[in-house]
Amino acid sequence: MKTVLKMGASAALCLGVLAHPAFAEDNIVKIGVVAAESGSFVSAGHTLPAGVGLAVKQINDAGGINVGGKNYKLEMVKRDDRTDIATAIAATQELVRDVKVQAIFGSETHDFTLAMAKITQPAKIIHFAGNSTLAKILTPDSVKPGGEDHYLFQSEPQEFQRSGSTARGVLTLLEPLLGYKPKKSVMIVGNDATGQFLSSYYFKALKAEGQDVPDIIFYPPDTTDFSPFLTRAKSLNPDIIHFWYNGDSTLTALPQALELGAAKSYFLFGVDPGIWKEKQLSADVPVAMSCVPVCWGESSNPKAKAYFDAYFAAGAPHGVTSSVSLLYHDYVHFLAEAWEKAGSFDPDKTVEALLTLHHQGVVSDDLTFNPTHQVTHATEVCAAAPGGAISCSMQQPPAEAPKS
Amino acid sequence: MTEGLHQDRAGCGLKALRSLLPVLVILALIALVPLFSPSNRFLSLAISAGINVIALYGLSVLFGQTGILSMGHAALVGVGAYAAAILARDFGVGFWAALPAAALASAAFAMIVGIPSLRVGGHHFVIMTFAFGQLLAIVLTNGGDYTGAATGLDLAGPVTLFGADMSDLTRYYLMVVAFVTTAAVASWAIINSSYGRTLRAIRENEKLAASLGINVGRHKIGAFVVSGIFAGISGVLLAYFLGHISPSQFSSFPSIYLALMVMIGGARLIEGPLAGGILVAFLPEVLNLDPVQSRIVYGVCLIAVIMLLPDGLIGGVVRALRAALSGKPKPETQQRNATPSEARR
Repeated sequence: MKTVLKMGASAALCLGVLAHPAFAEDNIVKIGVVAAESGSFVSAGHTLPAGVGLAVKQINDAGGINVGGKNYKLEMVKRDDRTDIATAIAATQELVRDVKVQAIFGSETHDFTLAMAKITQPAKIIHFAGNSTLAKILTPDSVKPGGEDHYLFQSEPQEFQRSGSTARGVLTLLEPLLGYKPKKSVMIVGNDATGQFLSSYYFKALKAEGQDVPDIIFYPPDTTDFSPFLTRAKSLNPDIIHFWYNGDSTLTALPQALELGAAKSYFLFGVDPGIWKEKQLSADVPVAMSCVPVCWGESSNPKAKAYFDAYFAAGAPHGVTSSVSLLYHDYVHFLAEAWEKAGSFDPDKTVEALLTLHHQGVVSDDLTFNPTHQVTHATEVCAAAPGGAISCSMQQPPAEAPKS
Repeated sequence: MTEGLHQDRAGCGLKALRSLLPVLVILALIALVPLFSPSNRFLSLAISAGINVIALYGLSVLFGQTGILSMGHAALVGVGAYAAAILARDFGVGFWAALPAAALASAAFAMIVGIPSLRVGGHHFVIMTFAFGQLLAIVLTNGGDYTGAATGLDLAGPVTLFGADMSDLTRYYLMVVAFVTTAAVASWAIINSSYGRTLRAIRENEKLAASLGINVGRHKIGAFVVSGIFAGISGVLLAYFLGHISPSQFSSFPSIYLALMVMIGGARLIEGPLAGGILVAFLPEVLNLDPVQSRIVYGVCLIAVIMLLPDGLIGGVVRALRAALSGKPKPETQQRNATPSEARR
């Protein structure tokens, strides 16, 4: 009997010790991140935890968040999806069911996000993804209360908006550098899910700006020899070749295009002027670049410098797509504000708050979500003159999609 | 004399049955895993691994028994997955009805690819199946709204069994284990049938098998079609598990992984696909390897298996155990390999 009592007491003690951290964690709110920190999508993937992590640190350093009269600290729980859908799904299951996060950010890969949403949405987890292709599923029916994507938010502008502002910015900045109004454009696009989706909008945006776009040339993902595609593009005698969308592939293609003299000017989507400078790239023709959404190497956005100074100081590497971190950083602050406004972590009240708030972020002083849970903000476009001088401007999105 | 023959056959049957027992025991243990409250991450990865194992059992019939290596097997899984998604979207066909339909669709695709490809055989067949995988990905990517283009298709239908919702992770896990068991038993039945012996005869000496009256071409296509049935079922399970499928999941690279799994595990033994599927799924998880490191490890494993363990990891383990128990090594292949004359019997 004594032994049984001793065992019981020991067990109770152990349980007490084990229970203590759980009690201490009562004031911790966990935020999950699923991103490609390794594998083929690592370039964009590593920006995600870096952006969220910085926001979490800023919020905690400022004292945390006050929800319903109680103070909470945030904790980021990140998982590498290894650019593999089975791992992304397993990571999401773990974060939702085991770690019990209040919100999830990611992933950058479109297909993965759609599969992840099948787990986060039934579990009523607030899910942010900086992926404009989510427009395909975010409809008035799907986001209404009880709808299958009620807790899903798109933290990147709708594609007609981003394409519209980018096209306008590219043409506006290149015109004075070319010395005439460019009329003919050719698009060279990676033939994958994102490339197909994005290019259809950018094509319409260029047409809406009066461009003659005789061809969209698709190249297989992971192409290294672009000469067949560039030769085809050159034969069309374009004023601008638009490399759309993969920044890493674009950096491989540009030197080949310059060598071939494929066009009178170029546009590199998703290549930051910072990379242009760091790699000491140069061209004898004007080259436009755009960032998603604000550039770190050179920017016209007054808040960008402070943000990127803090971002890189936290250990994030300088990358082609470092600016993608802003598609997540601002929304951690936005979400924290929504929780404070809702006075609760209840997902339905949080969604209500997210839809009514006007958040002051780095990207914009007035970030809001529309009724289909999509954000609207400007996109930054820069242009490097043949001499090397870089100028940038924030381009506001068009109010409506161009008529096809 | 006849009595002796019957006794011989009964002995062989018993021996064959004994070869199935270890797999059944392992699968029974695997089915007990939820009792230990594993993490949902583990269950999710185990489901993905199990779905692969089903396809691997089909690949083991093709590669292990017939000696034909397909580098486009993920494409056949993709045919099954897309068949399930399109049937659900356009005709409201649910999970259970989709299973035979998708299995038939994958088998039909295997036949369509197999007829021209198997006329060439050998390395050319490997190249043809690789090209088929690439081709399917291109077709799906450019298939417009019908295939969902590069974005792919959603599949949101529930999976129910006797009224119970199987979408719960533990239930789906148990269901996949049941499917893996069925696939293992089916594969075992093929291996131990006269059909299996015929396939092995073709594998060992195609010309000799043909000279003994075996229709080599027909049987090779048949083996490819059989492997397609396994792949189709695997595709349905994958589509319903992920809820979203896209062409990139079924391109050539996943096919190479499937071939790698079956080669590492051992294609000729019933335990091989199970071992290969589990190993490749969990090795990066256990050793915390990133994709580049994983590929290096798989490459080294593959070289080691080809040079040192021709029957795969499991074959090596079995041989080592036998050597330890009896004191002298006894290659597994000696038992498994059938001569054409044996096949004719």
